[in-house]
Amino acid sequence: MTVPPDRGFSRRSFLKGSAAAGVATTGIAAAPAAPAGPTTFGPGLHEIELRINGKARKVEVETRTTLLDALRDGLDLTGAKKVCDRGACGGCTVLVDGVTTTSCMTLAMDAVGSEVTTIESLSDGDAVHPLVQNFVRCDAMQCGFCTPGMVMSSLSCLQRRGQPTVAQMQHDLSGNLCRCGTYGRVMQAIQRTAQGGGK
Amino acid sequence: MNARTPQEDVKITVGYKALPGQKDDRLEQRTVQPAAGDAPPWDATTQFALVGTDVDRVDGLAKASGRAKYSYDVTFPGMLQAMILRSPVARGKLTVLELDEAARMPGIQAVVALKEIGNKVRFVGDAIAAVAGVNLHLVRDAIERIRAEYEREEHNVDYLVANDAPMVDDKGLVTEDWPADEGMTAALLDAKVTHDATYRVEVQTHSSLETHGGVARWTGNDLEVWLSTQATFGCRGELARALQGKKVDVGSVTIHSEFVGGGFGSKFGAGIEGLALCLLAHAAKAPVKLMLDRFEEHTTTGNRPGALMQARGGVDAEGRIVAWDWRSFGHAGFSGSGGSVAVPNYYTGDAKVRRSHKDLAIDADPPRPMRAPGHPQGWFGAELFLDELAAKAGVDPLAFRLQNDREQIRLDQWRFAAERFGWDAARARANAPGARMRRGVGLSSARWGNLGNPGRPAHGITCRIHQDGTVETRSGAQEPGVGTKTMLAVITAEELGVDLKLVKATVGHTGDPSGPASGGSTVTPSLAPAARHAAFLAKQQLCELVGKHLGVPANEVVCAGGLVGLGKSQLRWAEACKLIGPNPIDVRGQRFANYDSKPFHGSQCGVQMAEVEIDAWTGFVRVTRMFGIQDCGLVITRKLAESQVLGAMIQGVSYALHEQRILDKRTGRMLNGDFLRYKVTGARDLPELECHMHSIANGHDSVGAAGLGEPPSVASAAAIANAVFHALGTPVRHLPITPDKVVQALAKKG
Repeated sequence: MTVPPDRGFSRRSFLKGSAAAGVATTGIAAAPAAPAGPTTFGPGLHEIELRINGKARKVEVETRTTLLDALRDGLDLTGAKKVCDRGACGGCTVLVDGVTTTSCMTLAMDAVGSEVTTIESLSDGDAVHPLVQNFVRCDAMQCGFCTPGMVMSSLSCLQRRGQPTVAQMQHDLSGNLCRCGTYGRVMQAIQRTAQGGGK
Repeated sequence: MNARTPQEDVKITVGYKALPGQKDDRLEQRTVQPAAGDAPPWDATTQFALVGTDVDRVDGLAKASGRAKYSYDVTFPGMLQAMILRSPVARGKLTVLELDEAARMPGIQAVVALKEIGNKVRFVGDAIAAVAGVNLHLVRDAIERIRAEYEREEHNVDYLVANDAPMVDDKGLVTEDWPADEGMTAALLDAKVTHDATYRVEVQTHSSLETHGGVARWTGNDLEVWLSTQATFGCRGELARALQGKKVDVGSVTIHSEFVGGGFGSKFGAGIEGLALCLLAHAAKAPVKLMLDRFEEHTTTGNRPGALMQARGGVDAEGRIVAWDWRSFGHAGFSGSGGSVAVPNYYTGDAKVRRSHKDLAIDADPPRPMRAPGHPQGWFGAELFLDELAAKAGVDPLAFRLQNDREQIRLDQWRFAAERFGWDAARARANAPGARMRRGVGLSSARWGNLGNPGRPAHGITCRIHQDGTVETRSGAQEPGVGTKTMLAVITAEELGVDLKLVKATVGHTGDPSGPASGGSTVTPSLAPAARHAAFLAKQQLCELVGKHLGVPANEVVCAGGLVGLGKSQLRWAEACKLIGPNPIDVRGQRFANYDSKPFHGSQCGVQMAEVEIDAWTGFVRVTRMFGIQDCGLVITRKLAESQVLGAMIQGVSYALHEQRILDKRTGRMLNGDFLRYKVTGARDLPELECHMHSIANGHDSVGAAGLGEPPSVASAAAIANAVFHALGTPVRHLPITPDKVVQALAKKG
C-alpha cells in the first residue's frame, strides 16, 4: 500500500510519542474557524468538518479518534471495516486526496481539509460503479468483510495504472488481507474493469 | 415429525457422467421412496434452468458496495461501546476484583464481573470483567482502573512437555516405543519396504476478519442480539440459559445475523463476549456493542490445534499397503479436548491398521472446529508419509495412489487431475544439480462425509409468493459467507420456474424456521431439500388458483419459464400471482429424512495437486500453481462453489507455509496476536489456481446436494508439503514450512 504524503502525525507516530512538534498547526490549519495562534482541542469531544465523498460533514471527535471511528461511529458510514485496527489488513481502506489510506491509522483531525472517498461513493441506489459491478460478476468475495477495502485498493490501482499487470495488482492489493481467499477473483474484477467491462 | 410415509417407488439415475476426457459414465439406477408430499427427486438426468449455472451471488452487491450491515456495523441511538478485561495470568486464581473506581469513571454506564473472587483463571485472555460506556476511549480508560489480582500457579503452554506427552528427543522425534501388537509387528516384518516418521503441525487461528461479538438491546424482558455467529439457534438457547436470572426464556430472545464476516468454525457459541454484552445492556438499560479486538480474536476464540503425529507402515512387493500404524497427540487447551486428528481410511483396504490419539492439555485457549476439523493436520502427515513410503519403494506418488485408493470417484479424479495439471511431465522434470531455484510437484487426496440431516426438530424453510409476483425464501440459519442465500434463491427459482431476480432469500433471524449451525458442511445438504419442499408446496397452492381460474385440473398445471398453466392455457407469472390476493401464499417446507436406499456415495471426494518453487539459498517456498477437483454432490451455484474451493486452496497455502500461533512459554501470552506478525497469505503469495467442480447425483434426497465448507480444505497443505518433498529430495515434516526448516532440511541432506 502506498504511503500517503506526510500529512502530519499518524496514529502510529502519535502513539510512539515521536516528534510531533508543529504538527497540530498542519493538521488544524484548514479547520474553518481556526483563530490565529495556537488552539487547544480536547480533552473531550469537539466538532470538526470533514469532506467526505464530495460533501461537507460535521462530526464530533476526540483528538484521539481515528478517521475510521469517525466514519463508522460518527457518520454511520460502515463500509470501511475495523478488522485489525493497526494498519495491517486494509479492511478500513479509504482514499484520502486520492491515495489509499488505512483509516484506522489516521486521526480524524488529520483528515480535515482533505477529500475523503469511501466505498459508499461507488454506488447510489441502482447506479453502481463498474468496478463494484465486476466484483459481483467475478464473485470476488465470500464473507464480504474485506471486500469494501479490496474495492478501494482496486479502485486506486485502476486509477493510477489504467491497465495493471498481475504483479502490479498483487503489489497494490498486498495491504489487503482476505481470509476467505478471494484474491484471484479480485484481480479478475480489476482486469475486467480495466478492459471496459461492466459499464 | 421426521417420519416419512413412503410414497410409491420412484426410479432415479444416480452417479455422474464421464469427466471431460474420460470414457466411462458412472451411472446407476436406484429405486427410492420419497416421503408423502415431498417434491419428486432430481437426479443425474434432470435438465435444470438455473441449478449449476454461473449466477451472481444474490447479496454480492450489498457486500461489494459496503451497504451490507454486519453485526459490527449495527448501531442505535444511545448505544454504548464495551470491552472485556482479560487475565494476564495463564493459570491461577482470582483473589481481588474491585470494580467501583471503574464504574465511577466519566461516561461509564455499566460494569459487570465475569468471574468471582476465588474462581480459577485458565489462560492468558480469560475474561474477568466487562465495562460499557459512551465510547471505547473512555471504556479503555475505565478498564485500566479495575483492580484485579491473582494467585499465580505454575503453568505450561508447551504440549510436548505436558503430563501425558510421549517421550520426544531434541529433534522432536517420538522416541517412545509403539504399544505392543503382535499382528502389527508381523505385518511390518512381512512388508517388503517399511517406513517410520514423525510429523508436526503448529496451531493456526481462525482469523475471521469480523471479530466475535455483537450488539444487544433489551425491551423489558425481551432481548434482541445482533451476533456474529455460525449458529443463530444454538446461540439463542445458550444466551437464554445463561440469562435465566434475568427472567429470560428462549422465546424472549431473538438473534439476528444476516451478514457474518467469516467464522470458519470459531463462531458456534455466543461465548463469554455474547453473555457480557447482554449483561451490560441489561445493567446500563441501553443498547451495547461489544466486538473483540484482534488480539482477543487470536487468543480467546479458539484455533486449529497443533499435533504431533507418528506413522509407520509398509508395502508388499506389488506396492500395496499391508501395514499402517498411526498415533497422534493433539494440542488441546485447558479443556484437554478438541485436538483430534483424522487420517484417510481409503488407502488401506484389508491391511493391518491401527490408530490411536491422545489430547494433551495445556494452559491455553482451547481448540475449536476449523474447516474440516482434524483433517488438514492428519492428511498432511498421512499423505507425506505415503509419498515417503512410495519413494522408498521406488513408485511414483500418483501410481501409488492409483494402486491403493479404494474409491472409484477419486480414481477418476486422480486421472483427470493428472491430465489437467500435467502431472507426468512436471514430475519427471529434474532440478539441475546444485540449482538455486528448485521446482517440485505434489498431490493429495481429500474426503469429507456428509449428506445432511433433518435435525431435531426438522429444519424448515418458509416460502412466500406475493401478489406482486415476488417470492421470499427464508431460513433462520445464518450465512458466514458460503452462499446459502444464493443457494436458497436458486433452488426456489428453479422449482417455481421463475427469474432469479424475483426471489429474495433472507437468513439469520431466529423468528424464521430452524436451520443447522454452519458446521461440518451440513447447511446446504440440510436446507436445500427443505427450500425445494417449501417452493414445491407454494407452487401447488398457486397451481390450484391458476387451475380454477383457467378451468384446468390443478394437478396438471405446470410452472416453467415464467409461465403457469397447461398447454395453450397459460398465464404469465405476474398475472398468475395477481390471483393470490392480499395475503401471500405462505408455506413451510421441511427437511425429510434421507431416502432409505443407499446413496451413490456417502461422502465427498477430492484431489489437489500443487507445484512449488523453492529458493535453496534462502529457503523461501512459493506455491506457483495448484489444481483441484472437488465433488460436492449436486453443484447448485457453480461460481460460488468454485469460490469456496479456490478460497480453501489459498487457506491451505497459508496453513502449509505461513501460519503459526507462538505462545511465550514464560508468560503464556501469544507473541504474534495481530496481523503484523501472524502471517496470513496475501495477494503476493497467490498461486495460479484452477478448480473443477465434479457434480455427482448421490440420490439421497429430493435435491442431492452436499456442502463445501470442509471438503476442499483437507488436501491443500498436504499437496504442498509433498511438492516441497519432491523439490528438495527430502521432506519437511513440520508445518508451517518456513525458510528456516527448508534450509535445515537441505543442510541435513547435504
